[in-house]
Amino acid sequence: MSVETPMLHVVAVGSVDDGKSTLIGRLLHDTGHLTTDQIEAVAEASRKRGRKGIDLALLTDGLRAEREQGITIDVAYRSFDANGRRILLGDAPGHVQYTRNMVTAAAGADAAILLVDAKNGTTAQTRRHLAICGMLGVRDVIACVNKIDLVDYDEARFHEIAAELVQSSAAIDGPRITAIPLSALNGVNLTVRSPETPWYEGPTVLDVLHDLDPPVVETAFRMPVQWVVRHDDGERDIRGLAGRIDSGAVTVGDDIVALPSGATSRIARVDVLGDERESATAPLSVTLHLETDIDVSRGDVIALASAPPQVASRLRATVAWLDEQPLTVPARLEARQGARTVPVIVEELHERLELDTMEHIPADVLETNDLGIITLRAAQPMVLEPYGENRAMGSMVLIDPATNRTVAAVMVDQVLAEA
Amino acid sequence: MTTLTELGTLDVLEAEAVHVIRECAAECERPALLFSGGKDSIVLAHLAIKAFAPAGLPFPLMHVDTGHNFPEVIEYRDRYVADIDERLIVASVQDSIDQGRVQDEVGPRSSRNRLQTTTLLDAIAEHRFDACFGGARRDEERSRAKERFFSHRDAFGQWDPRNQRPEPWTIYNTKLRAGEHFRVFPLSNWTEIDIWAYIEQEGLRLPSIYFSHEREIFERDGMLLAAVEEVERYPHETVRVETVRFRTVGDMSCTGSILSTAATVAEVLQETRDSDISERGASRADDKTSEAAMEDRKRNGYF
Repeated sequence: MSVETPMLHVVAVGSVDDGKSTLIGRLLHDTGHLTTDQIEAVAEASRKRGRKGIDLALLTDGLRAEREQGITIDVAYRSFDANGRRILLGDAPGHVQYTRNMVTAAAGADAAILLVDAKNGTTAQTRRHLAICGMLGVRDVIACVNKIDLVDYDEARFHEIAAELVQSSAAIDGPRITAIPLSALNGVNLTVRSPETPWYEGPTVLDVLHDLDPPVVETAFRMPVQWVVRHDDGERDIRGLAGRIDSGAVTVGDDIVALPSGATSRIARVDVLGDERESATAPLSVTLHLETDIDVSRGDVIALASAPPQVASRLRATVAWLDEQPLTVPARLEARQGARTVPVIVEELHERLELDTMEHIPADVLETNDLGIITLRAAQPMVLEPYGENRAMGSMVLIDPATNRTVAAVMVDQVLAEA
Repeated sequence: MTTLTELGTLDVLEAEAVHVIRECAAECERPALLFSGGKDSIVLAHLAIKAFAPAGLPFPLMHVDTGHNFPEVIEYRDRYVADIDERLIVASVQDSIDQGRVQDEVGPRSSRNRLQTTTLLDAIAEHRFDACFGGARRDEERSRAKERFFSHRDAFGQWDPRNQRPEPWTIYNTKLRAGEHFRVFPLSNWTEIDIWAYIEQEGLRLPSIYFSHEREIFERDGMLLAAVEEVERYPHETVRVETVRFRTVGDMSCTGSILSTAATVAEVLQETRDSDISERGASRADDKTSEAAMEDRKRNGYF
């Protein structure tokens, strides 16, 4: 069963100074998403900084420190309506130092706009962002060869960079690439095809956003229980399992299993926030009522009995290390997955991924912004699936209980048997 | 019973907001929902009620009352709370002034907007709240566009925008040390138009000042402020009667009205769609004092 979700998450990525914030500002401006007073505020901020004309990057660089330095430090989100669909645009930082914020913005994104400076070409950071997008399962990348005006709209230069990107992505089995010659500053090929690039006959950035495929919704029904609703209305004691459907759909009469316990029951009622329905699909928040009273509490996962996920306490995973304190093994941390928090030990650090070249290098430490492969052991059984099969069951964050900091984003590669 | 239908944007936004509300209620010890009687907090309270129905809310509402609120809004607030039969805590800026915690500003440009921060932080400490739901949206203001769903505040109530917790996918780190708290923003991804469309869809009632009415106003910095006793005027600021409505509900001293004949939710929705001015641009004097006014207030613990 597939239902088209009317919302797409798109993230703008690329090296620092490649023009991400300018592109988003210009895109919002050219599609009529900015109001007069917002444009005036940006014009005033531009004048204050002695810029010629309006610097639309100042629109999403919402923090004082960002405007002072002319860089993006953290993600800004803007809503954008295209072709009857809501697009949530994240403006991600380009600095290597803020890669963790880029990972945050790209996790869960359906598509990415990757900017490359036409003059400088692809950099290590460009390839790093492409690799991170690939690992996070971002399906489409709109590769914008930006500042094409600064290379005199050179067709050969555009094709050279586009070919590099396609090749880099193919090497890692990465996202689909649509390359566009662009000048974000001048609006070239952003919302209308420009006469400056008569040799380019492909879509504009807006065209691609309009035509993006709907998000992939995995078909297997999974719902982590967030809250047990209890209510005695005088006649009966109601006990509902409240949560958001992460994937698939559920229908009255379905045989379900609660994990990790394995207790089974059948769906009696599907309540979508006060509206009783025959069935409900991801990503709705619902309250499920079962035919029998089984022991279910917060953190448990409800799945169809015919196609349950695995229950295990060891896994091999790709980890994006986000903390300033490096990772060395063994590390005692907490894993937050779905609605459950479980103590874990990082037992092994197998290798570090050199994103620039996609080489796997043996490592015994992961520094901030590094990606690596680890083996994790949990203190209690977890409900798991490989990230490629189910994003919700295959993703988690690691928290350092000593500092309460979110230290890593984790994607499950393989669910392991007990050691 | 209805069958599976195609989802709309509001369905997805509603599901996302409810997910965040349930996460916070489950993980935090003592949350509260900041309720001003404004449209965003009305939508937020409605979503919270839906999230836990048929049981009641597992947390109270809290209003930070500046004492300079529109009387129509206070009246609405009290009726609303009685209707939903939930607990409301009122934290009063006037009390903070009387206790010497803050100094009331004087003169025509005075406002109690800034003073609210102290009252809010005192109330959070007094009730030992570890999470406050707020109705803020990312489309309101550019520093808000940077905010996480679970926005961490240190023991001084401060926001450190350069050091926010990563929120990959929809997994939230809800760990706190004693004295710290979260501001939780379930409506982060909603726009002003979404709010009105949802109000229409759900048939929610709002304070009367959101709809066109005749009012004595005066003009200041291009804003149409209510001519009331609590807001001192300069001699040259003359009062006239106009047909107006308010796009936001805040302190009377800094909330401007707009000329409008929109008298129903549908008319307001249409007017909002056609508008060439942003919500805060049209009605909030407090954001115009400097380029980073909101960021600075938020760093210090503001809503």
